[in-house]
Amino acid sequence: MQLKKRSPAELRLGLMAATCALLVQSAHGQEATDTTADGEKPLQIDAGALYYKENAGRIQSYDAIVTVRKDFGDEYILGLNAAYDSLSGGSPTGAIPNRAAQTFATPSGTSVKAATGAPVTYTTASGRTVAQLSKVSVYTAAPGTLPIDSGFHDQRVAGDISWSQPLGQNNKIAVGGHLSHEEDFRSASANVSFSRDFYSKNTTLGISASTEFDNVNPVGGIPLAGSDYTKLQKGSDRTKQVTGGQLGLTQVLARNWITQVNISYDSSSGYLTDPYKIVSVLDSKGAITGYRFESRPESRARRSIYMGNKVAIGSSVLDLSLRHGTDDWGINNDTIDARYRFNLGSDDLYIEPHLRYYQQSAADFYHLYVSSPGVLPTYMSADPRLAAFTARTIGFKIGVKLQDQDEVSVRVEAYQQDAKVRSSTLTGLSGLDLNPSLQSFICQLNWRFSY
Amino acid sequence: MNRDVSLERRAVKLHAASFTAMSSPCEVLIETADEALALQLGHLSAAEAWRIETKYSRYLPDSVISRINNSHGAAVEVDTETASLIGFATQCYELSGGSFDVTSGVLRKAWRFDGSKALPDQSHIEQLLSRVGFDKLDWSPPHISLPTGMELDFGGIGKEYAVDRVLGLLTARFEGALLVNFGGDLAANKAPATGPWCVGVERPDTDKQARMLLDFSRGGMATSGDTHRYIEIDGQRYGHILDVRTGWPVTGAPRSVTVAAGSCVEAGLLATLAMLQGEQAEGFLGEQGVQHWCLR
Repeated sequence: MQLKKRSPAELRLGLMAATCALLVQSAHGQEATDTTADGEKPLQIDAGALYYKENAGRIQSYDAIVTVRKDFGDEYILGLNAAYDSLSGGSPTGAIPNRAAQTFATPSGTSVKAATGAPVTYTTASGRTVAQLSKVSVYTAAPGTLPIDSGFHDQRVAGDISWSQPLGQNNKIAVGGHLSHEEDFRSASANVSFSRDFYSKNTTLGISASTEFDNVNPVGGIPLAGSDYTKLQKGSDRTKQVTGGQLGLTQVLARNWITQVNISYDSSSGYLTDPYKIVSVLDSKGAITGYRFESRPESRARRSIYMGNKVAIGSSVLDLSLRHGTDDWGINNDTIDARYRFNLGSDDLYIEPHLRYYQQSAADFYHLYVSSPGVLPTYMSADPRLAAFTARTIGFKIGVKLQDQDEVSVRVEAYQQDAKVRSSTLTGLSGLDLNPSLQSFICQLNWRFSY
Repeated sequence: MNRDVSLERRAVKLHAASFTAMSSPCEVLIETADEALALQLGHLSAAEAWRIETKYSRYLPDSVISRINNSHGAAVEVDTETASLIGFATQCYELSGGSFDVTSGVLRKAWRFDGSKALPDQSHIEQLLSRVGFDKLDWSPPHISLPTGMELDFGGIGKEYAVDRVLGLLTARFEGALLVNFGGDLAANKAPATGPWCVGVERPDTDKQARMLLDFSRGGMATSGDTHRYIEIDGQRYGHILDVRTGWPVTGAPRSVTVAAGSCVEAGLLATLAMLQGEQAEGFLGEQGVQHWCLR
């Protein structure tokens, strides 16, 4: 750089030119930088509709979800979320298929027919005689099919609120609450989290805690765990509590690679049994002799470790995560989840394929069925969700960016769950698929806009 | 950081939006009777001033300047806006024959202009001088490599730049007369219908009533010199403008220099360059043919 004495005119003209160049650039950069000012931002609203359907007349649901996010600037953010779900159809009861038709009472039903079809009456726990009650509600599972109480209807409303804000120079604190209500289930929870940035925000350490309180008030009452299904020994509502915590580390590994590791622990206690689930009782040849209400331990502790990565490759983003979980019910699970988002042609249209693989081992007290005569286990469940299974999800999301941050997107996914044990060597059960696969389909429409 | 914007009605068709940015009281005068519009423009002005302050502050660890200053010689890629500011600093360095230098900030470590009577150690000054010199850094747009120990400081142009930017932002949205005033550095687009803006320049006395009143219509105006930042030893007053060649304050400079030019950035630069001329400040400004007011 050569430095020399300038004439007054040279200096003046040079300065005018330099100033002009600086301010012309800034006038061009104006629109782009307007939005970078860390001030109050408009309300961001996400309105979505979701349709979920399982095969073979199982659950089907329609959901409406609205999420509102208000950024008051400087990272003071309020979030509100409301959801309404309408569910119908049914879940497997836990009873296995049989060569003969099986007939069951719905949870609110007051009369039961045995597998033979002969009507029977029993005295309830409260001492009432079922036969005296007028309304009878039963359903029948055809021979060889999985018993499903498909007359089920419920509606769920849920709301969330969250607040997050900075706390001093490098810290952030967030608190949240959640309420949900169904006919037979009410839940309230609260959570708090704290995070701190280190090394110019390249590292973030976080800690969070949550607590949840649920009330289970099933239609027809809470069955006595492990009791004979036909005896309808039922009590009043029960509760359960969950408390949990998480430690997290987020680290920028390279300019285009961010990774996150979380370790989570939660502990549940109280009524963890599913009041609608039963277990088939078989004799030594495999013939059904009756059913028992399922029975689960009254505590559960779960631990998990999660590692997630986001890698930017040009204008595309790869999101790859691994998770391993274990609990004291004996369920160990592993998940691998991959999403890859890339633009189609222009920057305004993107597609994001999604693949997920999940596997778990069975709970210690999971039994496809129990045998009698013999001592029945204290804890038993035939809930397919507690069985050993593998699950695959395949899907994609397409999004169109409108003006500013506005976006319309559609997500479509298919899910298949296959149990590892699906047959029995008992003669009465040969050739039957005792735990048929579950297939489901999800379609979600989302519209994001600012107000 | 105080993030309030207050609005005051000064006349039937004049609103003043006030806030604090860059450690200075900031005021935007808007010729309108529409209170909502004035408040909206005030918020826009404040957001832009705070954005620039946050982006170029030496004190915030996440700022662009801190990123460059803590790069330990590694090349740092900068955005378009920062690139044009560095480009501007390069031209100013060349045009001023090296006397305007955005790397000279480290010299402040030796000098504390708090009215005290302590002179720094010459060896300390010489040690700091080895870390000054715009020619020691490598600027190959958009990458800048700053040797370890050196520091960039846009403090000398940041406030004036913010004034011009805010005026630019507002004139794109508003047709009436505007005056942007950040701690005495100002810019206006035109005179209000009632006549030119009247600007008071504080005299270098403690008596704030003694003001020089100037008429001002459009362009920029900036003042260099701070009546409260000096060292006085043996009757010799050392102002806060440092000569990068010696590491010492310029002697014989006016207590304050006010210049009116096409933009606030240009006015600020001319005022600073005039201060660097010491005794010849008025002569220098006369040669430049700009309107100026020197107070000695």
